[in-house]
Amino acid sequence: MVRIVFRDVAGNAQEINAEPGVSLMVSAKAHGIAGIEAECGGSMVCATCHIYVDEPWFSAIGAAGPIEAEMVEYTRHPRLTSRLSCQILVTEAMDGMEVGVPLSQR
Amino acid sequence: MASLAHTIPPHVKPEQVFEFDIYADPRISDDVQGSYAEALRHAPDIFWSPLNGGHWLVQRHDLIAEVVKNPAVFSAREMQIPRVKNPPLFIPLNLDPPGNVPYRHVLMPKFSPRAVAEMEGKMRAMAAEIVADVADAGTCDFVHDVAARFPVSVFMEVMGLPLEKLHEFRAIADGFFKAHTNEEYQAASQQIAAIFHELIDFRRKAPGEDLISHFITVDFEGRKLSLEEIMAMCTVLFLGGMDTVTNVTAFTFQQLADDPALQSRLAADPALLPQFAEEGLRMFGVIGTPRLVVQDFDAHGIAFRKGDMVLNALWQSGRDPTRIANPDRFDIDRKDMAHLNFSTGPHLCLGHALARAEMRILAEEWLKRVPSFRAIPGAHHGFRMGTVIALKSLPLQWDIA
Repeated sequence: MVRIVFRDVAGNAQEINAEPGVSLMVSAKAHGIAGIEAECGGSMVCATCHIYVDEPWFSAIGAAGPIEAEMVEYTRHPRLTSRLSCQILVTEAMDGMEVGVPLSQR
Repeated sequence: MASLAHTIPPHVKPEQVFEFDIYADPRISDDVQGSYAEALRHAPDIFWSPLNGGHWLVQRHDLIAEVVKNPAVFSAREMQIPRVKNPPLFIPLNLDPPGNVPYRHVLMPKFSPRAVAEMEGKMRAMAAEIVADVADAGTCDFVHDVAARFPVSVFMEVMGLPLEKLHEFRAIADGFFKAHTNEEYQAASQQIAAIFHELIDFRRKAPGEDLISHFITVDFEGRKLSLEEIMAMCTVLFLGGMDTVTNVTAFTFQQLADDPALQSRLAADPALLPQFAEEGLRMFGVIGTPRLVVQDFDAHGIAFRKGDMVLNALWQSGRDPTRIANPDRFDIDRKDMAHLNFSTGPHLCLGHALARAEMRILAEEWLKRVPSFRAIPGAHHGFRMGTVIALKSLPLQWDIA
């Protein structure tokens, strides 16, 4: 069980039990996290599962790769701690991680 | 065109056969998507239609997602039903991943949510002008005069087609989508290619901020894009960007024309328009995306065999009763508007953000000038079906203040 907290722009938080070994996007969709659209289902072509990863977790899991970073640039509200949740493979080490959901995905 | 021969290969089980003519089934009416859902209500989730060369049709939301996310089995290389001898290669549409990915990244700067947001002001001005051209007349053919015109203007803006070409290009686009015979189609295709060639030449000398200039100058994996690649992308953008938005908008307004209460609610509260556009997208999908089976694959009791064509009937995804409650009811307040009308997976429609913005903006500008309207009673609207569904006309009338 890996607890992950999603927070919207108003600060409302929702904790989910994410499944290790699959992407954070898949667990977010399974728990109906508002604002995670994931139109392309994890193919890295839409950037509608965009999140901000809080420190110290962002440093721990690392920044986006080159293609992901390019996709993040095209989102409405990119930040330095932006990631696509479809590209984050959940591990036990992420237990307690907090992430923010942007104002809009498109 | 429809073929009357029945094709049922031995790997298809009798209970998997359901006769349906995707080009001219007699059960389909002006409420195309509604009558489609009704006609296929008792058909299997995946069935084999023996018509048009024989092909599978996938009609459930989750099964469509499975197919389009499995390009190793279901290739996008061919999209003609029945299959043709020399299928065209549209880029990136007909390239399976990873081949399509670098091309998508070339296109993203002009189609991303951010780029669409930056174009909002220009799109709004274009929509307002188109609506202004008919608002005082009290009547129009909404398809021809409004829904077909707006995406052409947006396309020209994205591509950097000079505005003085607007009328010429609109006429050519009109001719292309109305083409009935192969000769008409070829003639219109050649006119379109000529316009793109001319534009590419022009932008080589005078680069701007437009997509063509971007195609010419962009670094593509260490080289420049070839003329053939640029032309193939221009063509797919033309095909994908116009008839689609036009048709979904037309069907959505056919629905809205019969709902005066919703008209006044939307006119009073434009903040509801994103939901309205999304519900229109869910109910009135117009695209089916075919795939070619490239390796034998057994799933869900079906033996997909190499060479089989598979039509993913995306318009059925939003009408899936196993996914959506009361799927045939237009309800902008519903929480779950799940649909795959932009497909999903590696070929998710590049224009999904642009299309949503176009629908929302056009509806808003329309309702500002024409807050109350109705379909002209008794008019036959007419439709086209196949892998693209279109409404041919939508005569509307309204009271002039």
